[in-house]
Amino acid sequence: MEFEKIRDIVAEVMNMEAEEITMESTFVDDLGCDSLDIQQILLAVQTEFDVKIPDNAVDGMETIGDVVEQLKQR
Amino acid sequence: MENKIRIAVDAVGGDHAPAEVVKGAVEAVKRYPDIQVILVGPGELIEEELKKYEYPEEQMVLQPASEIISTEEAPVAAIRDKQDSSIVVASKMVKEKKADAFVSAGSTGAVLTAGTLIVGRVKGVERPPLATPIPTEKGMSLLLDCGANVDAKPSQLVQFAQMGSLYMENVMGVKNPGVAILNIGVEEEKGNALTKATYPLLKECRNIRFVGNIEAREIPAGGADIVLCEAFAGNIVLKLYEGVSRTLLSVVKKGLLTSLRSKLGALMIKPALKETLKSFDSSEYGGAPLLGLNGLVVKTHGSAKAKEITNTILQSRTFVLKGTNEKIKECFAGIERVRSTK
Repeated sequence: MEFEKIRDIVAEVMNMEAEEITMESTFVDDLGCDSLDIQQILLAVQTEFDVKIPDNAVDGMETIGDVVEQLKQR
Repeated sequence: MENKIRIAVDAVGGDHAPAEVVKGAVEAVKRYPDIQVILVGPGELIEEELKKYEYPEEQMVLQPASEIISTEEAPVAAIRDKQDSSIVVASKMVKEKKADAFVSAGSTGAVLTAGTLIVGRVKGVERPPLATPIPTEKGMSLLLDCGANVDAKPSQLVQFAQMGSLYMENVMGVKNPGVAILNIGVEEEKGNALTKATYPLLKECRNIRFVGNIEAREIPAGGADIVLCEAFAGNIVLKLYEGVSRTLLSVVKKGLLTSLRSKLGALMIKPALKETLKSFDSSEYGGAPLLGLNGLVVKTHGSAKAKEITNTILQSRTFVLKGTNEKIKECFAGIERVRSTK
Protein backbone atom coordinates (compact mmCIF):
# COMPACT_ATOMS: atom_id res chain seq x y z
CA MET A 1 0.00 0.00 0.00
CA GLU A 2 2.68 2.49 1.05
CA PHE A 3 4.94 1.43 -1.80
CA GLU A 4 2.30 1.86 -4.48
CA LYS A 5 1.43 5.37 -3.32
CA ILE A 6 5.09 6.40 -3.05
CA ARG A 7 5.80 4.88 -6.46
CA ASP A 8 3.00 6.95 -8.00
CA ILE A 9 4.29 10.13 -6.36
CA VAL A 10 7.83 9.49 -7.62
CA ALA A 11 6.55 8.66 -11.09
CA GLU A 12 4.63 11.94 -11.22
CA VAL A 13 7.48 14.10 -9.91
CA MET A 14 10.09 12.46 -12.15
CA ASN A 15 7.78 12.19 -15.14
CA MET A 16 8.47 8.48 -15.61
CA GLU A 17 6.53 5.22 -15.77
CA ALA A 18 5.54 3.75 -12.39
CA GLU A 19 6.66 0.32 -13.57
CA GLU A 20 10.25 1.51 -13.71
CA ILE A 21 10.26 2.11 -9.95
CA THR A 22 10.97 -0.64 -7.42
CA MET A 23 11.63 -0.88 -3.70
CA GLU A 24 15.34 -1.07 -4.48
CA SER A 25 15.42 1.98 -6.79
CA THR A 26 17.88 4.57 -5.52
CA PHE A 27 16.80 8.19 -5.75
CA VAL A 28 20.01 9.58 -7.22
CA ASP A 29 21.56 6.85 -9.36
CA ASP A 30 18.51 4.91 -10.55
CA LEU A 31 15.82 7.57 -10.69
CA GLY A 32 18.02 10.57 -11.51
CA CYS A 33 16.66 12.70 -8.67
CA ASP A 34 18.47 15.82 -7.56
CA SER A 35 18.11 17.35 -4.10
CA LEU A 36 15.02 19.37 -5.05
CA ASP A 37 13.34 16.31 -6.55
CA ILE A 38 13.92 14.42 -3.30
CA GLN A 39 12.49 17.28 -1.25
CA GLN A 40 9.51 17.48 -3.59
CA ILE A 41 8.88 13.74 -3.27
CA LEU A 42 9.20 13.75 0.51
CA LEU A 43 6.86 16.72 0.87
CA ALA A 44 4.27 14.94 -1.26
CA VAL A 45 4.72 11.73 0.77
CA GLN A 46 4.26 13.60 4.05
CA THR A 47 1.13 15.28 2.71
CA GLU A 48 -0.28 12.04 1.33
CA PHE A 49 0.28 10.04 4.53
CA ASP A 50 -0.23 13.00 6.89
CA VAL A 51 3.05 12.33 8.71
CA LYS A 52 6.17 14.31 9.46
CA ILE A 53 9.49 12.85 8.45
CA PRO A 54 12.20 14.41 10.65
CA ASP A 55 15.05 16.15 8.83
CA ASN A 56 17.65 13.84 10.40
CA ALA A 57 15.85 10.81 8.95
CA VAL A 58 16.00 12.20 5.42
CA ASP A 59 19.80 11.86 5.15
CA GLY A 60 19.62 8.08 5.51
CA MET A 61 17.03 7.60 2.77
CA GLU A 62 18.66 6.35 -0.38
CA THR A 63 16.01 4.05 -1.81
CA ILE A 64 12.24 3.95 -2.16
CA GLY A 65 12.34 1.07 0.35
CA ASP A 66 13.94 3.38 2.93
CA VAL A 67 10.94 5.71 2.70
CA VAL A 68 8.49 2.82 3.00
CA GLU A 69 10.38 1.61 6.07
CA GLN A 70 10.31 5.09 7.60
CA LEU A 71 6.53 5.26 7.15
CA LYS A 72 6.00 1.84 8.73
CA GLN A 73 7.84 2.99 11.83
CA ARG A 74 5.32 5.79 12.40
CA MET B 1 -15.45 32.00 -19.32
CA GLU B 2 -13.52 28.92 -20.37
CA ASN B 3 -10.85 30.87 -22.20
CA LYS B 4 -10.14 33.34 -19.44
CA ILE B 5 -6.65 33.47 -17.96
CA ARG B 6 -7.06 32.31 -14.39
CA ILE B 7 -4.81 34.04 -11.89
CA ALA B 8 -4.84 32.87 -8.27
CA VAL B 9 -4.00 35.73 -5.92
CA ASP B 10 -2.95 35.28 -2.31
CA ALA B 11 -5.53 37.56 -0.67
CA VAL B 12 -3.85 37.45 2.74
CA GLY B 13 -0.20 37.81 1.73
CA GLY B 14 1.68 41.06 2.31
CA ASP B 15 1.75 44.01 4.69
CA HIS B 16 -1.41 45.58 3.29
CA ALA B 17 -3.52 42.45 2.78
CA PRO B 18 -6.33 41.88 2.25
CA ALA B 19 -7.42 45.49 1.55
CA GLU B 20 -4.80 46.50 -1.04
CA VAL B 21 -4.67 43.02 -2.61
CA VAL B 22 -8.41 42.96 -3.22
CA LYS B 23 -8.36 46.55 -4.49
CA GLY B 24 -5.58 45.66 -6.93
CA ALA B 25 -7.41 42.55 -8.09
CA VAL B 26 -10.61 44.52 -8.73
CA GLU B 27 -8.70 47.06 -10.81
CA ALA B 28 -7.10 44.27 -12.86
CA VAL B 29 -10.39 42.57 -13.77
CA LYS B 30 -11.91 45.93 -14.68
CA ARG B 31 -9.05 46.59 -17.09
CA TYR B 32 -8.97 43.21 -18.81
CA PRO B 33 -12.11 41.16 -19.53
CA ASP B 34 -10.01 38.14 -20.51
CA ILE B 35 -8.74 37.44 -16.99
CA GLN B 36 -10.35 35.81 -14.01
CA VAL B 37 -8.88 36.46 -10.57
CA ILE B 38 -9.22 33.73 -7.96
CA LEU B 39 -8.82 35.32 -4.55
CA VAL B 40 -7.40 32.71 -2.17
CA GLY B 41 -7.82 33.12 1.59
CA PRO B 42 -10.39 33.21 4.40
CA GLY B 43 -13.79 33.68 2.75
CA GLU B 44 -15.38 36.16 5.14
CA LEU B 45 -12.35 38.42 5.13
CA ILE B 46 -12.28 38.60 1.35
CA GLU B 47 -16.03 39.05 0.98
CA GLU B 48 -15.91 41.95 3.41
CA GLU B 49 -13.34 43.69 1.20
CA LEU B 50 -15.09 42.86 -2.06
CA LYS B 51 -18.27 44.55 -0.81
CA LYS B 52 -16.53 47.90 -1.21
CA TYR B 53 -16.27 47.60 -4.98
CA GLU B 54 -18.24 47.08 -8.13
CA TYR B 55 -16.69 44.68 -10.60
CA PRO B 56 -17.65 42.08 -13.21
CA GLU B 57 -18.60 39.23 -10.90
CA GLU B 58 -17.88 36.42 -13.34
CA GLN B 59 -14.26 37.57 -13.34
CA MET B 60 -13.78 37.28 -9.60
CA VAL B 61 -13.84 33.93 -7.82
CA LEU B 62 -13.21 33.12 -4.18
CA GLN B 63 -11.22 30.06 -3.16
CA PRO B 64 -11.39 29.45 0.60
CA ALA B 65 -8.16 28.81 2.52
CA SER B 66 -8.32 29.10 6.27
CA GLU B 67 -4.63 29.33 7.21
CA ILE B 68 -2.00 32.03 6.75
CA ILE B 69 1.76 31.50 6.58
CA SER B 70 3.63 34.34 8.24
CA THR B 71 7.06 35.61 7.23
CA GLU B 72 8.51 34.38 10.54
CA GLU B 73 7.71 30.72 9.86
CA ALA B 74 10.26 28.24 8.48
CA PRO B 75 9.14 27.80 4.84
CA VAL B 76 9.40 24.02 4.37
CA ALA B 77 7.74 23.22 7.73
CA ALA B 78 5.02 25.80 7.08
CA ILE B 79 4.26 24.37 3.64
CA ARG B 80 4.12 20.86 5.09
CA ASP B 81 2.04 21.75 8.15
CA LYS B 82 -0.35 24.34 6.75
CA GLN B 83 -2.06 22.49 3.95
CA ASP B 84 -5.01 24.87 4.01
CA SER B 85 -2.92 28.02 3.79
CA SER B 86 -3.46 30.44 0.93
CA ILE B 87 0.04 29.77 -0.45
CA VAL B 88 -0.34 25.97 -0.48
CA VAL B 89 -3.91 26.04 -1.83
CA ALA B 90 -3.00 28.46 -4.63
CA SER B 91 0.16 26.52 -5.54
CA LYS B 92 -1.86 23.31 -5.79
CA MET B 93 -4.31 25.07 -8.09
CA VAL B 94 -1.44 25.89 -10.45
CA LYS B 95 -0.09 22.36 -10.22
CA GLU B 96 -3.52 20.89 -10.95
CA LYS B 97 -4.02 23.38 -13.83
CA LYS B 98 -6.97 24.99 -12.08
CA ALA B 99 -5.09 28.28 -12.28
CA ASP B 100 -2.63 29.57 -14.88
CA ALA B 101 -0.65 31.68 -12.45
CA PHE B 102 -0.22 32.42 -8.76
CA VAL B 103 0.60 35.89 -7.41
CA SER B 104 1.59 36.52 -3.80
CA ALA B 105 2.98 39.34 -1.69
CA GLY B 106 3.36 36.91 1.21
CA SER B 107 6.38 35.14 2.73
CA THR B 108 9.11 34.97 0.05
CA GLY B 109 10.54 31.74 1.45
CA ALA B 110 7.16 30.03 1.56
CA VAL B 111 6.21 31.17 -1.95
CA LEU B 112 9.55 30.00 -3.38
CA THR B 113 9.33 26.67 -1.54
CA ALA B 114 5.73 26.06 -2.58
CA GLY B 115 6.53 27.01 -6.15
CA THR B 116 9.50 24.67 -6.34
CA LEU B 117 8.10 21.75 -4.34
CA ILE B 118 4.38 21.85 -5.13
CA VAL B 119 4.16 23.34 -8.62
CA GLY B 120 7.46 21.64 -9.54
CA ARG B 121 10.14 22.39 -12.10
CA VAL B 122 10.08 22.13 -15.86
CA LYS B 123 11.97 19.00 -16.85
CA GLY B 124 15.59 19.91 -17.45
CA VAL B 125 15.60 22.99 -15.24
CA GLU B 126 18.16 22.56 -12.48
CA ARG B 127 17.14 25.45 -10.24
CA PRO B 128 14.35 28.02 -10.71
CA PRO B 129 15.64 31.60 -10.23
CA LEU B 130 13.72 34.57 -8.90
CA ALA B 131 13.83 37.20 -11.63
CA THR B 132 13.35 40.72 -10.32
CA PRO B 133 12.63 43.65 -12.63
CA ILE B 134 14.63 46.72 -11.59
CA PRO B 135 14.13 50.25 -12.92
CA THR B 136 17.02 51.78 -14.86
CA GLU B 137 17.74 54.93 -16.84
CA LYS B 138 16.79 53.04 -20.02
CA GLY B 139 13.61 51.48 -18.63
CA MET B 140 14.09 48.25 -16.76
CA SER B 141 16.52 45.38 -16.42
CA LEU B 142 16.07 41.91 -15.04
CA LEU B 143 18.22 40.95 -12.07
CA LEU B 144 18.39 37.21 -11.55
CA ASP B 145 18.75 35.33 -9.34
CA CYS B 146 17.55 37.61 -6.56
CA GLY B 147 16.45 35.23 -3.89
CA ALA B 148 16.06 31.56 -4.73
CA ASN B 149 19.60 30.11 -4.97
CA VAL B 150 22.20 31.59 -2.65
CA ASP B 151 24.80 29.34 -4.28
CA ALA B 152 24.69 28.48 -7.96
CA LYS B 153 26.72 26.50 -10.46
CA PRO B 154 27.89 27.82 -13.84
CA SER B 155 25.44 25.53 -15.67
CA GLN B 156 22.62 26.99 -13.59
CA LEU B 157 23.62 30.57 -14.44
CA VAL B 158 23.49 29.60 -18.12
CA GLN B 159 19.94 28.32 -17.62
CA PHE B 160 19.04 31.54 -15.77
CA ALA B 161 20.31 33.48 -18.80
CA GLN B 162 18.20 31.41 -21.19
CA MET B 163 15.02 31.71 -19.12
CA GLY B 164 15.63 35.41 -18.43
CA SER B 165 16.05 36.08 -22.15
CA LEU B 166 12.74 34.37 -22.94
CA TYR B 167 11.04 36.35 -20.19
CA MET B 168 12.42 39.71 -21.34
CA GLU B 169 11.48 39.04 -24.97
CA ASN B 170 8.00 37.72 -24.33
CA VAL B 171 6.77 39.56 -21.26
CA MET B 172 8.75 42.80 -21.23
CA GLY B 173 8.93 43.17 -25.00
CA VAL B 174 12.72 43.62 -25.16
CA LYS B 175 13.98 42.22 -28.45
CA ASN B 176 17.23 40.27 -28.35
CA PRO B 177 18.08 41.26 -24.75
CA GLY B 178 21.72 41.56 -23.71
CA VAL B 179 22.89 39.29 -20.90
CA ALA B 180 25.78 40.23 -18.61
CA ILE B 181 27.42 38.53 -15.63
CA LEU B 182 27.57 40.68 -12.50
CA ASN B 183 31.26 40.97 -11.73
CA ILE B 184 33.97 43.10 -10.15
CA GLY B 185 35.40 44.08 -13.52
CA VAL B 186 34.51 43.82 -17.18
CA GLU B 187 37.52 41.77 -18.31
CA GLU B 188 36.93 38.06 -18.93
CA GLU B 189 39.59 36.97 -16.43
CA LYS B 190 38.09 39.02 -13.56
CA GLY B 191 35.94 37.58 -10.81
CA ASN B 192 35.56 34.48 -8.68
CA ALA B 193 35.45 30.82 -9.63
CA LEU B 194 31.74 31.01 -10.54
CA THR B 195 31.96 34.00 -12.88
CA LYS B 196 35.17 32.74 -14.53
CA ALA B 197 33.63 29.35 -15.21
CA THR B 198 30.34 30.84 -16.43
CA TYR B 199 31.87 33.33 -18.88
CA PRO B 200 33.03 30.81 -21.56
CA LEU B 201 29.79 28.84 -21.25
CA LEU B 202 27.74 31.94 -21.99
CA LYS B 203 30.01 32.88 -24.87
CA GLU B 204 29.20 29.53 -26.45
CA CYS B 205 25.47 29.65 -25.64
CA ARG B 206 23.61 30.07 -28.94
CA ASN B 207 20.15 31.16 -27.81
CA ILE B 208 21.17 34.25 -25.83
CA ARG B 209 23.02 37.49 -26.59
CA PHE B 210 25.92 37.56 -24.15
CA VAL B 211 27.49 40.99 -23.69
CA GLY B 212 30.21 40.13 -21.15
CA ASN B 213 30.67 41.22 -17.55
CA ILE B 214 29.00 44.19 -15.91
CA GLU B 215 30.04 46.09 -12.80
CA ALA B 216 27.30 46.97 -10.31
CA ARG B 217 27.64 50.72 -10.92
CA GLU B 218 26.52 50.26 -14.53
CA ILE B 219 23.25 48.57 -13.58
CA PRO B 220 21.23 51.76 -12.82
CA ALA B 221 22.28 53.20 -16.17
CA GLY B 222 20.81 50.14 -17.90
CA GLY B 223 24.17 48.60 -18.87
CA ALA B 224 22.54 45.24 -19.58
CA ASP B 225 18.99 44.00 -20.06
CA ILE B 226 19.69 40.93 -17.93
CA VAL B 227 22.09 40.93 -14.99
CA LEU B 228 23.12 37.45 -14.02
CA CYS B 229 24.32 36.34 -10.58
CA GLU B 230 23.68 33.88 -7.77
CA ALA B 231 21.05 34.98 -5.23
CA PHE B 232 23.64 35.93 -2.61
CA ALA B 233 25.01 38.74 -4.77
CA GLY B 234 21.62 39.41 -6.40
CA ASN B 235 19.83 40.02 -3.16
CA ILE B 236 22.60 42.31 -1.90
CA VAL B 237 22.42 44.36 -5.11
CA LEU B 238 18.64 44.55 -4.90
CA LYS B 239 18.58 45.68 -1.28
CA LEU B 240 21.38 48.21 -1.85
CA TYR B 241 19.48 49.52 -4.88
CA GLU B 242 16.35 50.00 -2.79
CA GLY B 243 18.24 51.46 0.16
CA VAL B 244 20.24 53.99 -1.88
CA SER B 245 17.09 55.12 -3.73
CA ARG B 246 15.19 55.61 -0.50
CA THR B 247 18.02 57.43 1.26
CA LEU B 248 18.80 59.63 -1.71
CA LEU B 249 15.19 60.69 -2.01
CA SER B 250 14.98 61.43 1.68
CA VAL B 251 18.17 63.51 1.62
CA VAL B 252 17.07 65.45 -1.47
CA LYS B 253 13.67 66.12 0.08
CA LYS B 254 15.28 67.33 3.29
CA GLY B 255 17.62 69.58 1.34
CA LEU B 256 14.77 71.08 -0.65
CA LEU B 257 12.92 72.07 2.49
CA THR B 258 15.75 73.79 4.35
CA SER B 259 14.99 77.42 3.35
CA LEU B 260 12.29 79.50 1.74
CA ARG B 261 14.41 79.78 -1.41
CA SER B 262 14.88 76.03 -1.74
CA LYS B 263 11.19 75.47 -1.00
CA LEU B 264 10.25 77.76 -3.87
CA GLY B 265 12.69 75.91 -6.09
CA ALA B 266 11.17 72.60 -5.02
CA LEU B 267 7.74 73.85 -5.95
CA MET B 268 8.95 74.68 -9.43
CA ILE B 269 10.68 71.37 -10.11
CA LYS B 270 8.01 69.22 -8.44
CA PRO B 271 6.07 68.20 -11.61
CA ALA B 272 9.25 67.29 -13.53
CA LEU B 273 10.69 65.46 -10.51
CA LYS B 274 7.48 63.50 -10.01
CA GLU B 275 7.47 62.40 -13.63
CA THR B 276 11.14 61.41 -13.51
CA LEU B 277 10.73 59.44 -10.30
CA LYS B 278 7.74 57.60 -11.74
CA SER B 279 10.04 55.90 -14.24
CA PHE B 280 12.12 54.66 -11.31
CA ASP B 281 9.11 53.24 -9.47
CA SER B 282 9.57 49.46 -9.32
CA SER B 283 5.84 48.90 -8.72
CA GLU B 284 5.26 49.92 -12.36
CA TYR B 285 6.93 46.70 -13.51
CA GLY B 286 5.09 44.15 -11.39
CA GLY B 287 6.58 41.33 -9.35
CA ALA B 288 9.39 38.80 -9.65
CA PRO B 289 8.52 35.52 -11.37
CA LEU B 290 10.10 32.26 -10.29
CA LEU B 291 11.18 31.01 -13.70
CA GLY B 292 11.28 27.39 -14.84
CA LEU B 293 8.25 25.99 -13.01
CA ASN B 294 5.38 23.93 -14.43
CA GLY B 295 3.19 27.02 -14.10
CA LEU B 296 3.69 30.65 -13.23
CA VAL B 297 4.43 31.80 -9.68
CA VAL B 298 5.11 35.49 -9.09
CA LYS B 299 6.34 37.04 -5.87
CA THR B 300 5.64 40.70 -5.40
CA HIS B 301 6.91 43.03 -2.67
CA GLY B 302 5.60 42.41 0.85
CA SER B 303 4.83 46.12 0.96
CA ALA B 304 2.92 46.02 -2.34
CA LYS B 305 -0.04 48.36 -2.64
CA ALA B 306 -2.97 47.98 -5.03
CA LYS B 307 -1.12 49.39 -8.05
CA GLU B 308 1.68 46.84 -7.77
CA ILE B 309 -0.80 43.98 -7.29
CA THR B 310 -2.67 45.12 -10.42
CA ASN B 311 0.54 45.37 -12.43
CA THR B 312 1.69 41.95 -11.26
CA ILE B 313 -1.62 40.38 -12.31
CA LEU B 314 -1.35 42.06 -15.70
CA GLN B 315 2.28 40.96 -16.04
CA SER B 316 1.13 37.37 -15.32
CA ARG B 317 -1.55 37.74 -18.00
CA THR B 318 1.11 38.69 -20.58
CA PHE B 319 3.33 35.80 -19.45
CA VAL B 320 0.51 33.32 -20.04
CA LEU B 321 -0.78 34.94 -23.25
CA LYS B 322 2.68 34.82 -24.83
CA GLY B 323 3.09 31.14 -23.94
CA THR B 324 6.32 31.95 -22.10
CA ASN B 325 6.34 28.74 -20.10
CA GLU B 326 5.86 26.64 -23.21
CA LYS B 327 8.88 28.38 -24.71
CA ILE B 328 10.91 27.62 -21.58
CA LYS B 329 9.82 23.98 -21.82
CA GLU B 330 10.89 23.86 -25.47
CA CYS B 331 14.23 25.39 -24.54
CA PHE B 332 14.96 22.63 -22.02
CA ALA B 333 13.33 19.72 -23.81
CA GLY B 334 15.67 16.76 -23.88
CA ILE B 335 17.97 18.13 -21.18
CA GLU B 336 18.52 15.71 -18.31
CA ARG B 337 18.78 17.20 -14.86
CA VAL B 338 22.20 17.10 -13.26
CA ARG B 339 22.37 14.08 -11.02
CA SER B 340 23.61 15.62 -7.85
CA THR B 341 22.24 16.02 -4.36
CA LYS B 342 24.86 18.59 -3.43
